Amino acid sequence: MTEAAAAERPVATGTAPLLRAQNLHKSFGGVHAVFDISLDVPTGSIFAIIGPNGAGKSTLLNLISGIYQPDSGSVALDGQDLSSMRAHRRVRLGLARTFQKIRLFKQLSVLDNVIAGFHVHHKIPAWQYVIHGKDFARDRQHCREEAMRLLDFFGMSARLNVFAGELSYGEQRMLELARSLATKPRLLLVDEPAAGLNAAEVDVLLDRIRTLRGRGITVVIVEHNMDLVMNVADRIMVMDYGRHLFQGTPSEVQKNPAVIAAYLGGELS
Amino acid sequence: MTTTIVLQQAINGVVFGSLYVLVALGLTLIYGVLVQINFAHADFVTLGAFAAYFFMHLLGAGYFLSIGVAFLVGAALGWLINASIFTPLRLKGNELLPLIATIGVSVMMQNLMLTWFGPIPYAFETEYSSQVIRFAGIFVSWQNIIIIAVSSVTIALLYAFMKFTFLGKALRAVSQDRETAGLMGINPNYLIMLTFVIASALAGMAGAMLAPVLVLTPFAGTSVIVKAFAIVIIGGFGNVEGTILAGLIVGLIESYTTQFLDPGLIDIVVFALLLVMLVIKPTGLIAERREENV
Amino acid sequence: MSDSAISQRVGNDKMLRSRWVGYLLAALCIIALPLIFNDTYWRTNLTICAINVLLALGLDFILGYTGQLNLGHSAFYGLGAYVSTLLIVKLGIPFWAAFVAGVAFAGLAGMFLSLFAVRLRGHYLAIASLGFAVIIYQILLNWISLTQGPLGIYGISPPPGIVVGGTVIADFRNLTAFFYLVSGFTLLVYLLLDQLVRSPVGETLTAIREDEVSAASLGINGAVWKVFAFGLGAAVAGAAGCFYASFVGTLVPDAFYVSEAFTILAMVIVGGMGTLIGPVFGAILLTLLPEILRGIGDLRLVVYGAALTFVVLFMPGGLVQAARMIHEKLRPGGRRP
Repeated sequence: MTEAAAAERPVATGTAPLLRAQNLHKSFGGVHAVFDISLDVPTGSIFAIIGPNGAGKSTLLNLISGIYQPDSGSVALDGQDLSSMRAHRRVRLGLARTFQKIRLFKQLSVLDNVIAGFHVHHKIPAWQYVIHGKDFARDRQHCREEAMRLLDFFGMSARLNVFAGELSYGEQRMLELARSLATKPRLLLVDEPAAGLNAAEVDVLLDRIRTLRGRGITVVIVEHNMDLVMNVADRIMVMDYGRHLFQGTPSEVQKNPAVIAAYLGGELS
Repeated sequence: MTTTIVLQQAINGVVFGSLYVLVALGLTLIYGVLVQINFAHADFVTLGAFAAYFFMHLLGAGYFLSIGVAFLVGAALGWLINASIFTPLRLKGNELLPLIATIGVSVMMQNLMLTWFGPIPYAFETEYSSQVIRFAGIFVSWQNIIIIAVSSVTIALLYAFMKFTFLGKALRAVSQDRETAGLMGINPNYLIMLTFVIASALAGMAGAMLAPVLVLTPFAGTSVIVKAFAIVIIGGFGNVEGTILAGLIVGLIESYTTQFLDPGLIDIVVFALLLVMLVIKPTGLIAERREENV
Repeated sequence: MSDSAISQRVGNDKMLRSRWVGYLLAALCIIALPLIFNDTYWRTNLTICAINVLLALGLDFILGYTGQLNLGHSAFYGLGAYVSTLLIVKLGIPFWAAFVAGVAFAGLAGMFLSLFAVRLRGHYLAIASLGFAVIIYQILLNWISLTQGPLGIYGISPPPGIVVGGTVIADFRNLTAFFYLVSGFTLLVYLLLDQLVRSPVGETLTAIREDEVSAASLGINGAVWKVFAFGLGAAVAGAAGCFYASFVGTLVPDAFYVSEAFTILAMVIVGGMGTLIGPVFGAILLTLLPEILRGIGDLRLVVYGAALTFVVLFMPGGLVQAARMIHEKLRPGGRRP
């Protein structure tokens, strides 16, 4: 990901949080998946949302990314209210996400998957979609090069022309991240990225995420494994049964008795 | 005079409605368990009807026995189509391929029947078609009474089966979550096969009862399938109660449209209703939300 | 620029050149065919082929590229035919203006239908489109004051000839000229779709087909694109209808019965769904096969149904997949997307 591309995005002003969610509620058939959740994510930070399975983390992510509409409450990105926006429109504001269950375009190559991510950034006059003129050629070239750079960042340069469906699980995760970065986001939501990865792959993954932070991208990670996020998150919010349990720095979270109770016999180090 | 007509058409509506329900129930059961549509379902209806016809008129058997034969023929077809098409394609994961394959089967079946049986309608007369009761100025043939009786009993049995027996609950479990059901010792493949068998048996049976009151040609099923689909959508995919309700409503709409408007408009009215439903309440009359898991 | 980028550039140029060679060959074939088969029977078949190719292309754009199961393509075919014909016959509107109107009407109908089911699962659209085709057929059949129902409309003239400064360049009452007109149009449509598919539009449609939720996470508005693709595919079918009406000269609703939609579907699937060349071969094969194997005339539809079922079961990619497999067996090396 080039510094130039990162600079294209307007930088959030001052100390206002890039992402602010307020009093989000979401029920399914009478069951509260998310109950009165609020959070502030400062720009350029790594924010983790953790909790046991079923805590409502993925639902929260779906509310932020726009797949679900909240029953009440609001979500704002850099001060802009997202409530009326459907998921695809939030991408143009710089919000990207990956999925817990990997959703790649299996019939497309690795490279084509990432190129698909440039959808909102094409600068081609309509007629050139039919008669492929200069702008078209330039855009194609640019997309290819950008895509290859992104894949290089994730160490996948050798696999450009492989079908996405044939990749290993770890590679698929990396590809998903590369593809979501093609949208040039300011805020990246990552849903359980470590699921199914071995320890080495997880290390690489976390390292890449740290590098992204260094380039100005704010990251929100959802995980149920607390160990993982301890080393990478600036701030952690713990959820349980759809409710806010605790929020603080990693060391604070580790020592909090309510958190420990919720994770009884769980993955505390 | 008008009350008589209204009542008469109500009876007709219930007669056809209950047959549509039998056909639609099969479709909705399959969808509930497998999230798939068997496009050849209508042709099972037709083939059931022909099976009953030939059994009766070539072997001189009784009508009720013929209905039973149609039931069995339907069951066999259901087993066959599951084994040959739905099970192999399940591994491929594309959700639209099985539907396309069954379209091919439907086209094959219809045109084979056309070649074997010809396009000229068969007169499917039973000893009950001509016997009529008369009350309150309305004419009801014994055939109609049999249809209503057999359909109601069957539907009631099916409903009870789904709600109260272990197998029935297992069927619903498989439709909710196939993996978990598998983990609980229920064999999903067996249940899916069972669903197809039951669903198609109902279709065959419906055919045997429809044929005397409709025209028996290789395309008899087609006239029903389109309404059956509409019923399934209006009632809600996979929703048994909704389908029963929707089936009766469509049957009644059909009767009243025929009586007060124009028979040629039936399809248009039913489909206009379908499209309206799709806009306002796509999940059906008795809403049953299926959130897609993201 | 990296090595792979350079080789991709070169590869692109080679691909580009082979594409234009392909188009040239196609054009030459089109020109040659009526000269080789110079009897009315075969020229008629060839024209029907061209019309069917047009239908199959439109359907595949909707089904194969965007993943929308449209079971009612016959409706747009019929709408194009009837709207243009009625405008010409009843209002005296010139042919090409009526053609545009027919195409536009069919396209709008397609967009309208797609809008209904845009946020629902594929099965809903399948049934809604089937229902739509049934409704259109019933309207064509029963609205006798407008369409003359089963009696049909007679004496439809072919398009007016092209006359330049007193000399007749093309007289479309001539079968060969008409064939050139339709095939030329079909080739242009193929080119248009091909260009779209090789642009970000194609990527977008493929993304929607593969996983709409995932596509939305990339900023793709699935609804808008699905409606667009449906409209375009339906418009192409409308054009086919216009040509059909002026070719056959009489118009009856039965030509647009729902079974026609299944025939077109079979052409797309047998040829190879999700490609552009697939429907071309599928349409040609299924149109000409019954003529070549004269004996199976009555069983034509049985063969279509069987072909459809077996292709889906054993070779879902159709002829194109078969061709690729043969190609791979013949040349060494790995698979490339």
